[in-house]
Amino acid sequence: MAKFASCAVAIAVSIVLMGCQPTEQQDPKVTINKNPYPSTYQPLVSQSTLITNATVLTGTGKRLNNADVLLVDGKVSAVGVDLVAKDAIEINAQGKWVTPGIIDVHSHLGVYPSPSAESHSDGNEMTSPNTAEVWAEHSVWPQDPGFNRARAGGVTTLQILPGSANLIGGRGVTLKNMPATTMQAMKFPQAPYGLKMACGENPKGLYGKRKQAPMTRMGNMAGYRQAFIDATQYKRAWDKYEADYAKGLNPQAPNRDLTLDTLKGVLDGEIIIHNHCYKAEEMAMMIDLGKEFNYHSGTFHHAIEAYKIADLLSENGNCAAMWPDWWGFKMEAYDTVIENVAIVDSAKNACAIVHSDSSTTIQRLNQEAAKIMYSANTNGFMLTEEHVIGWITSNAAKSLGVADKTGSLQAGKNADVVIWNTNPFSVYAQAEKVFIDGAKVYDRDDEKYQAISDFLLGQE
Amino acid sequence: MNKIKHTMVALSVASTLVATTALAQSVAIENVTVHTATDAGVLNNATVVFGNGKITAINPSVISAQTVIDGKGKILTPGFIGALNTVGLVEVGQVKDSRDTRDDKIDILFDPSFAFNPKSTAIAFARKGGLTTSVVNADGGEGIFAGQTFNTQMNGEWDSILSNKGALVVHLGASHEGSRAVGMQALFTQLEDAKQALIDDKDKADTDAVNDESKILNAVLSGDKILAVKVDRASDILTLLKLKQHFQLQLVLIGAADAVLIAPQIAAANVPVVMNGLRNLPESFDSLHNSLDNAAKLQQAGVKVILTASHGAHSIYALRYVVGSAVANGMDYNAALKSVTVNAATTFKIDAGVVAVGKRADLVLWSGDPFEYSTQVDTMWIGGEQQSTTSRHDKLRDRYTTESNMPRAYTR
Repeated sequence: MAKFASCAVAIAVSIVLMGCQPTEQQDPKVTINKNPYPSTYQPLVSQSTLITNATVLTGTGKRLNNADVLLVDGKVSAVGVDLVAKDAIEINAQGKWVTPGIIDVHSHLGVYPSPSAESHSDGNEMTSPNTAEVWAEHSVWPQDPGFNRARAGGVTTLQILPGSANLIGGRGVTLKNMPATTMQAMKFPQAPYGLKMACGENPKGLYGKRKQAPMTRMGNMAGYRQAFIDATQYKRAWDKYEADYAKGLNPQAPNRDLTLDTLKGVLDGEIIIHNHCYKAEEMAMMIDLGKEFNYHSGTFHHAIEAYKIADLLSENGNCAAMWPDWWGFKMEAYDTVIENVAIVDSAKNACAIVHSDSSTTIQRLNQEAAKIMYSANTNGFMLTEEHVIGWITSNAAKSLGVADKTGSLQAGKNADVVIWNTNPFSVYAQAEKVFIDGAKVYDRDDEKYQAISDFLLGQE
Repeated sequence: MNKIKHTMVALSVASTLVATTALAQSVAIENVTVHTATDAGVLNNATVVFGNGKITAINPSVISAQTVIDGKGKILTPGFIGALNTVGLVEVGQVKDSRDTRDDKIDILFDPSFAFNPKSTAIAFARKGGLTTSVVNADGGEGIFAGQTFNTQMNGEWDSILSNKGALVVHLGASHEGSRAVGMQALFTQLEDAKQALIDDKDKADTDAVNDESKILNAVLSGDKILAVKVDRASDILTLLKLKQHFQLQLVLIGAADAVLIAPQIAAANVPVVMNGLRNLPESFDSLHNSLDNAAKLQQAGVKVILTASHGAHSIYALRYVVGSAVANGMDYNAALKSVTVNAATTFKIDAGVVAVGKRADLVLWSGDPFEYSTQVDTMWIGGEQQSTTSRHDKLRDRYTTESNMPRAYTR
């Protein structure tokens, strides 16, 4: 009744302005299903597991020697010394190292799978500079053998992103690295969506060659700005619809637009930006772009020049995801320094990440981190293993918005765990056992726990 | 045209070592663990002496050298050889003006050494990984022939090229358009024609009638020139083994993803394999058996393995980690070391790759296990000359980690 009353008052002022017809019942409210392809992920059945006598890197900066890790009901139950657990499978990890499951924030597994047949090249909708309407999850081929290889490298969580040809390339999806026949069965429950954006050479190069915008870096910026101007209007229209409906009016819902749905999700703070952006001056502008349209500029990927603006990134709460030594393949990748991650990491409250963007290096992110750690320590840094592991676990989880669920060995977190045969920052390190939500999903010494893709089954 | 080509040969960019090494001082490294990459294996607490660009003594009774270095706790190895990369041919991959690795017109005659830039920043960067020599080849063109290789020192000197017109490189296997059979047939036909021409011309005195292409193919047929074939599928490799048998070729396989399926045949044919040890995905239907333990399996089957990083210029410094991965996946440590030293040297005719008296003093002193991330190059020498391992990357790092009240541009 209160709603009707407020409507009546409005009519008294002006029927035309409000577009409100008091005699009309409210139509059913138009709502957008934000999760139309929901996760069907189920952890494998697991028993309680007690890993003992290991060198444990928690992912939160701590190292425990001769320590135990207890996994119960798919969660980390305890990390400490001399733990006791009834009915738990005990794994003596004397001489071995234990870390959180490795997380890659930048992968194209499933969307650019092996074999690299044209039929499977589904990672980049290179048809328009703004394809915010496409979702990488709709391209994922779960049978990509690369998922299994990555798991053998300790990777338990990964974000699959669209490619970088477009200014706005579409949504990324965060997956559990669990063998499955559907994308939904790999989808990380409650993980937020990511939005892939790209700076620099790729968008302007591709579209400029087609004699269309963007052809230049200023064209790139104009493209992002126009997209977010449109998104701001779209959001305003939907917000007004919501508000009017809440008032008891019967407004007409705005026309749905798949592209703007995603950008509105960014403006609403529900979708996290993942921005392919190599150069210092471009990252600085993308930070301001976020401020201009009131969203956060998220994580910079392939941030080759992040070391030049380490303070700016940390002050703005941006993560930066980087390689140790990829360089020289294009101009924007010319100023690589091996210690990039370490320099970014040295700023206060920094969020430095090592990522792969590769079906090969995703298998050894621990060793990619090792390159940086040792090169930095040779040049005046004092980095420790317990700190550096955060570059590929907890910081990556923070970037993806899943740090409350995974990325560290803390009681209550998902039991995503790797047992390594030795110090994971050694060239001889191999993941021996990998657990996702407490269940063993990989065992180097037991074929029963070595998944093989449909594609490779029976090949001679 | 022939005359011009002959002039180019005369202008060959390859040069002798004399100029760079004549002034090299004599150096002795004492108390060091030496991985010789020879049958002598590992020498503990040893002394290695070099001067005038050559290794002059190992464990001499009296040490005579201008400089004596204590190598205690360190490891001395031959300098690593980067087999088949594009270093010096490309500065920035997507900047066309800085890239000389591809050309539609690349053919049998193509000699990429004429495009070599010893000042490319990728060369200094590669020294961080202990690379002292590279075998360089181009990416190829439209045809099956991808030109010839050349050998260069990694010292960044103007005269660093050791030799050009090395192996003849051929690309076979999966064809993006059309059938792979066309490429294989073309190779067979060219070799058969050249062989027939040799028979026909036997009695002719006028050798000038032989064109430059024929000279190269004749060198391949006589076994003087290596035929290095990039190929992955096992069935293609078997065809090439037959080709080798038929023409008595010096065959080298590049890539050879599925070689593991026919390792005994490859070993029996004495065919070396140049492979990137990190390939372990079924990238195509030609490479379903890529695996991290393939290097170990091939080596154990008796194949001469030459490990390499992915083809390119900028990442070859990481070769030593590829070797570490091979060891982690079952390859014998000393065999793995040989795969980036002596095996590459003997295959591509480089007078280095071992720590032995009389060999070129291409040496790396490591702070520890050369394959480990925790290890760095302590000191390295190419032809007896001490090398720097710093590059512009280090200057950039230092610029942005050094406090200054002025804009960074003023920090050198």
